[in-house]
Amino acid sequence: MTTYLLRRLIGLVPVLIAAATIVWILIFFIPGDPARLIAGSRALDPEVVDAIRAEWGLDRPAPLQYLTWLGKLLRGDLGTSYIQRRPVAAILGDHFPPTLFLAVAAVALSAAGGLALGTLAAFARGRLAAITVEALALIGASTPVFWVGLMLILLFASRLGWLPVLGYGDDGAIIPGTRVRLPELEYLVLPALTLSLMSMGAIARLTRSSLGDVGAADYLRTAAAKGASRARVLVGHALRNALIPVVTVVGLNFAGILGGAVATEYVFAWPGLGKTVVRAIALRDLPVVEGCVLFLAAVAVLVSLAVDLVYAVIDPRIQPGAPGGPATSVR
Amino acid sequence: MRQESRARRPRPAIRNVALILCAVAGLAVACAGRETSAPSADRTFRFRIREDPPTLDPARAIDQLSEAVLFGLFRGLVEMEPATMTVRPAVAASWTVSDDRLTYTFRLRDDVFFHNGRQLTARDVAWSYRRLLSPATGSPRRSILEPLAGAAAFVAGTTSELPGLQTPDDRTVVIRLAKPFAPFLSALTLVNTAILPAEVYEDAGEGYLRAPVGCGPFRFVRWEQSNFIELAAFDRFYGGRPEIDRVRVRIIENRQSALQEYLAGGLDSLDEVPEDEDPIAVTLKDEIHRYPFIGTQFIGFNHALAPFKGNAALRKAFNHAVDKEYFHRTLHGEPMANGIIPPGAPAHDPSLPGYPYDPEKAKRLLAEAGYPGGRGLPPITLWYNTSEDMQQSMQKIQADLKQVGVDLRLKSVDWAAYLAAVEGTRDRPGEAQMYRFGWYLDYPDAESILRPLLYSSNAGPAGNYSRYANPRVDALIDEAMGLVDDAARVQRYREAQRIAVMDDAVWLFLSYAQSKTLFKPYVKGIVTTPLGEFRIPIDRLRLEKGPA
Repeated sequence: MTTYLLRRLIGLVPVLIAAATIVWILIFFIPGDPARLIAGSRALDPEVVDAIRAEWGLDRPAPLQYLTWLGKLLRGDLGTSYIQRRPVAAILGDHFPPTLFLAVAAVALSAAGGLALGTLAAFARGRLAAITVEALALIGASTPVFWVGLMLILLFASRLGWLPVLGYGDDGAIIPGTRVRLPELEYLVLPALTLSLMSMGAIARLTRSSLGDVGAADYLRTAAAKGASRARVLVGHALRNALIPVVTVVGLNFAGILGGAVATEYVFAWPGLGKTVVRAIALRDLPVVEGCVLFLAAVAVLVSLAVDLVYAVIDPRIQPGAPGGPATSVR
Repeated sequence: MRQESRARRPRPAIRNVALILCAVAGLAVACAGRETSAPSADRTFRFRIREDPPTLDPARAIDQLSEAVLFGLFRGLVEMEPATMTVRPAVAASWTVSDDRLTYTFRLRDDVFFHNGRQLTARDVAWSYRRLLSPATGSPRRSILEPLAGAAAFVAGTTSELPGLQTPDDRTVVIRLAKPFAPFLSALTLVNTAILPAEVYEDAGEGYLRAPVGCGPFRFVRWEQSNFIELAAFDRFYGGRPEIDRVRVRIIENRQSALQEYLAGGLDSLDEVPEDEDPIAVTLKDEIHRYPFIGTQFIGFNHALAPFKGNAALRKAFNHAVDKEYFHRTLHGEPMANGIIPPGAPAHDPSLPGYPYDPEKAKRLLAEAGYPGGRGLPPITLWYNTSEDMQQSMQKIQADLKQVGVDLRLKSVDWAAYLAAVEGTRDRPGEAQMYRFGWYLDYPDAESILRPLLYSSNAGPAGNYSRYANPRVDALIDEAMGLVDDAARVQRYREAQRIAVMDDAVWLFLSYAQSKTLFKPYVKGIVTTPLGEFRIPIDRLRLEKGPA
């Protein structure tokens, strides 16, 4: 297990460099001069723009700029934002925690809601249950997050007044030893719900399907014959075995939500990383874009690793790292 | 069989529960109403900006987002009275100007304190002005103080002396100009000339960027990136403690969300107002404040590119082809522009004929330009910065030009790509033949629009994106800058405008800007200003109908 973990962590490095290199090339070659954007209104003075180019090394040939950036990266230096003139690490420190809190809440809601609905649908067993779950999955996957968010605002905030319209709150607790402030719970509800609806239906459908797959197993018939109630058979025995594919989807969702929370953050004025990256792209703030991409890619890979480890918890027969991969390794 | 009958039993129960839940939800929705808007309990004024301000250093600020916060934190020697657009005392209690308009002597108040408790003296004024001029600061507004005697050598770094700035005692500042600069006092009202405490702003780590210190009516409390900026009333403000206890500047990018937040009572003011035909605008009509905004909206022609190069008749044809009144009647409510200098600036000329909508005249001018019925015109592209509002306007222009035979392509790109296409380089024009633009005056003097946008030496990235060049216009602008007689200056500016507009049709003139701002009914003391919504003085506001 330890060897497997180390191998996966070391393998993270070339993946991140490759991802960041692709982004570097894309940002470098799209139209727009970062020096002029850094200069802002000082761009009216060409000498100022030239001085900025020299200061930030933007007047060097592209390969040299890339190598300089790569060298800093390998030394752990994510660079400084062209626009904010702050270390990229500080910007990540400000904006990643809100995105993380949002993603965790959304994944928890989608997993809990999806599992509950899927189990209920499997329990009910009728055609109506199947149609409901399929419809929820379709609606969740096809409805724009932006629209869902605004509708939830209109209903729960504007019409009912139960929850705030947007924001992060200003009275959340500070995590001891850090400058990170937690969001106030009432501000987290609507954005998390918005994000979770995307995948809740898919998880419900997958849960129902997985429970159906394991439903005919001999051990379940044995449990029922021994007098276990249908609920105990489903939840106590079948669900655990049906969780493997569900955990995979939840893990993939987490990475997707982290990177795709930008629309939700935009609607709810959530001070997260998604909006920061989009704005950095618009302003050609390359260090910030690179830093965010690297960070999110690292988190996605680590989540994937965590999913593999969770398999072993759910099914002790699965050994991550054994030949054939974690999903197929059985002692 | 027993299992099947057990399985059938829960279904009616689930259905009944679902029905009850739906009924309760329906009842709740029917009975619930919107929260009544009321001011916050501790007299906090809450308004919104779209993004985090690029900077809170007054020397480096050039945008409205930064100014929205900075005008609450800082004061300079003088300030602009927002309603009348006249210069009035601020940190300076009074001043005198020599007859030759070269020497300005300011007498400071003796009750001005910084937020860190220290009393402000003349030395702070000198230190702040030197910082603004210093090349090390890299201020985009250094030009405000470049008229000072000796400023050129100071800026070039050949000397640390600045003979045009003297402080004979703690309460007196004497400024001497190298040559008369008529709008000098107006330029000193810009936030860039804020007086700063040296002990804070000498910090090499630039901690002041996250904790600014000034002498304005509000002091800085905290800034949570992408969330809000909070200010608190400064008890020792020389103009008297504001009635507002706190200011919460919320950062909300999405306009629909911001509007919902305003409707729900989370904001006391909002800069994004629904269009007039929107039903929400009807319900909010008593809360909408409309007022001119000292700026001009236009479509620029690139005079260095075909087909507009050297073809005034073609540019005039385009002007007559577009129904600009439509923008006023239907789209934005902004008055049609007849020229360049907007209302609010002394040289605005309401008698300038401009280019009224006249498709028949447009067709005749097209023929005169060598393109009868639009035939023979090369492909023309109009570039604009991506936005829904702008798209509607550009499509209207495209449709109007189509009526006279001109096929116009539209290209919408993000800001960075747009700037690259419009500005070009010093030596090479950008690829945009036409571009949508707007310019807002920093102070009510025509110099601040004519010089950057029309002066030939500013062609290209320096501001004259149209690359317009007319030696007579240059000469008139130069003459006006040196005149001390206001009437004579106005006459020069108007003549320069007349040439650029009626002879050369430098742009396709659209409209003069207008501001619309929502204020809750309990917000009192609102002083609207042509300088824009973020220049409405917050320290004069008060919130009624709330506990103190």
